Amino acid sequence: MSSLSTQELLRSQARLPQHVVHRSFVAETVVLNLRTGKYHGLNQTAGRMLEALETSATIGAVIPELAREYEVDESKIESDLAELCHELLARELIEIGEPAG
Amino acid sequence: MQAGAASHTGPQAAVRLDPQAVTQRWRQAQGAHRRVGDLYARDRQLLTIDFHEEIGYLLRAPAFGRVLITPSGRELLCDPEPDRPDWAAILSAQALPFAATLCGFEVFHAAGVVANVGAVLLTGPPGAGKSSLAAALVRRGAALLSDDVVALEHCAKDDSLIAHPGPAVLNLRPAEDERLSGAEQAMLGSSTKVAGKRRYAPAAHGDAAPLAGLFMLERSSRAPAIERLDEVDPFALIAANFNLCVRTPERLKRNLDLVARLAASRRVYLLRIHPDVDATRLAMTLQEQLVTVAL
Repeated sequence: MSSLSTQELLRSQARLPQHVVHRSFVAETVVLNLRTGKYHGLNQTAGRMLEALETSATIGAVIPELAREYEVDESKIESDLAELCHELLARELIEIGEPAG
Repeated sequence: MQAGAASHTGPQAAVRLDPQAVTQRWRQAQGAHRRVGDLYARDRQLLTIDFHEEIGYLLRAPAFGRVLITPSGRELLCDPEPDRPDWAAILSAQALPFAATLCGFEVFHAAGVVANVGAVLLTGPPGAGKSSLAAALVRRGAALLSDDVVALEHCAKDDSLIAHPGPAVLNLRPAEDERLSGAEQAMLGSSTKVAGKRRYAPAAHGDAAPLAGLFMLERSSRAPAIERLDEVDPFALIAANFNLCVRTPERLKRNLDLVARLAASRRVYLLRIHPDVDATRLAMTLQEQLVTVAL
């Protein structure tokens, strides 16, 4: 598990390393680590979150949009997003860096 | 090995019988190669695959011999087991499909025929009925693409999926072969007996053909018999790939891209095989459905 606090995480940018690719299918997103050859399946919600993170300056910036899309409280999105990011970090599928711009 | 029709030409590979070259070249790999594939049937080792980055892949089947495939897949050197007249089975069953992957195709464990609507691929576990159904479709006028492996390629020019022919032989298990009448057997062409199965050489489709549908066979009494899959399990398609040994980043990405295109093509179906329905009836049902499938 990443040592970053949730607030530190939300202020950071999530980036997919070059050796990680993903493709969306109807029911899931397949994430492939080209270095290890390992495949990972994300459910629809996690796949949508990953898609939103790719184009966002910070992780936290996607929360309002996703909260509207899924019609849930932002606090729920925040905790699910943080959990997903920690999971993706542990599997080396994303990198965390300074916010873009 | 030549892939493709006039509008879908593919790379060619040279196959040579040269045991000495296999030994000499692989000698240079000693100590610097690694095992990338192992195939067993119960305790019996059927096939090993070793890889050296510069020399290539050495496929070794104890009962048949060795084939050395260069990293590009464009050259295959064969070292057959002496006194083994059917040694070439390692070529058709393993080495050529392997080389096709190296040449840029994605090869699936599938039987395939070409009907009037295009290439029809049949996937499923061993014993699902792929060969039986392919044989039934051939008896109804389709041309054989392959019984065991079919190479798929994405054609960027028109964003289509193209199926390339494999070895043009059909292997039927004794139980299925004995169900056929003499006339039905004759429609499948000349035959020999190989490894307990009846091997036929029917009318083959020697060129590539656009993909009309990929049918995933499943033994089930549920209806409907044929169902277009709106939700395709990507991992089922990944697992249906013939070659899980070549794991370079380029190859893995290409495979995932093709699986994604296949899933998005709306040409993947579930074909339920009822226990009471034989291959002939199923072929009739499938052909009736193929017209709507192609739309």
